[in-house]
Amino acid sequence: MTDETFDETFDLESLIHLEQSFYDAGHSDGFAHGRIHGLIEGRALGREKGFEMWEELGYYEGFALMWQAIYLNQGKGEERAFHHVKHLLEFISQFPRVNPSSADTSADLDIPKLFRQIRSRYKALCSSLGVRPSLRASSEEQGKERSVEDELDAANQKPITKAVWKLEPSSSEEMSF
Amino acid sequence: MDSFWDEEATAETHRNAEWSKISSEFTTSGYREGITAGKESALQEGFDSGFADVGTPIGREVGMLRGTIAAIIAFLSSNLYSDKQESLLAEAQAIGSQLSKIRFSDIAPRDLEAEAHAREHLEMDSDEKMEENEELTAKRNMEGLEDMLARLSADSVAGSGERKLGMEDVKELKWMTGELCKRMGLKVQVESS
Repeated sequence: MTDETFDETFDLESLIHLEQSFYDAGHSDGFAHGRIHGLIEGRALGREKGFEMWEELGYYEGFALMWQAIYLNQGKGEERAFHHVKHLLEFISQFPRVNPSSADTSADLDIPKLFRQIRSRYKALCSSLGVRPSLRASSEEQGKERSVEDELDAANQKPITKAVWKLEPSSSEEMSF
Repeated sequence: MDSFWDEEATAETHRNAEWSKISSEFTTSGYREGITAGKESALQEGFDSGFADVGTPIGREVGMLRGTIAAIIAFLSSNLYSDKQESLLAEAQAIGSQLSKIRFSDIAPRDLEAEAHAREHLEMDSDEKMEENEELTAKRNMEGLEDMLARLSADSVAGSGERKLGMEDVKELKWMTGELCKRMGLKVQVESS
């Protein structure tokens, strides 16, 4: 019957090929859909991280600028505090405002180190002013806990979180403050 | 005769079933792996844009305001400040306490693309839900709890219902801080550059 003639001319390779083409069609649809999800989830994470980091840096910046203005206005004050303000503002101006991993130019920039320098300069400013520093500057321990959580997440076969921090080594280092 | 046609028909349906089974099997497994690959290919891109376009500028704005007001409060309560004006300190503290209530989730612009896509998922009523990063979900839940507690305490203290602070409030607090600086005779740039 027709069945037999069909079987004779049917070669295995074209069957495999067929399977492959089904797979490929599914894959490209899935890929497009996955991209949407990746962008959405990535954006959500990036927003949070950017806010978190720059809220802290902005705090130091605003704090330093205000004291600078106060000192200029008063025409007096401790020399050392003014010195700290200058350096603090200088450090902050070096801090990238885009994710370092995407900006090749700042590849040699040591973000965690810069962040540490900013924090300790801020604390030095506070102590020269006799002001109690914000808790932001002492969040090192918090950071450590976080990165452990991240690793747990990754171990928990969660490719999503893992991928972000893996793709972005500088940021995961920042997490380990 | 009947049985002959029946057999033929069964074989036909069987082949069709086999065919669609193969096609859907491979399409589905391709789709599944495609989703994962596509997602991973775009996570970093999304992260970078969220970081640079939304998180950083808004974080910096809020942070600078908080830092500025913290410095003002510290100055006004210190002995550097000679002509004591209690009203200025009280005002600065009021601004500071408002600023501390600002939450990123309340002032962040909506991610319209994410919302549209979530709606698509609802409409399709598909089995795969829009999943969110666990850490963010936990944070969201926590904030929901905060909101609930805020509503509860607002109910018990009638009339003092606290509303959420939005971006307009940030703008207003910024303006108030600027005014405060003027009254202190300070020239300071509260605008973020």
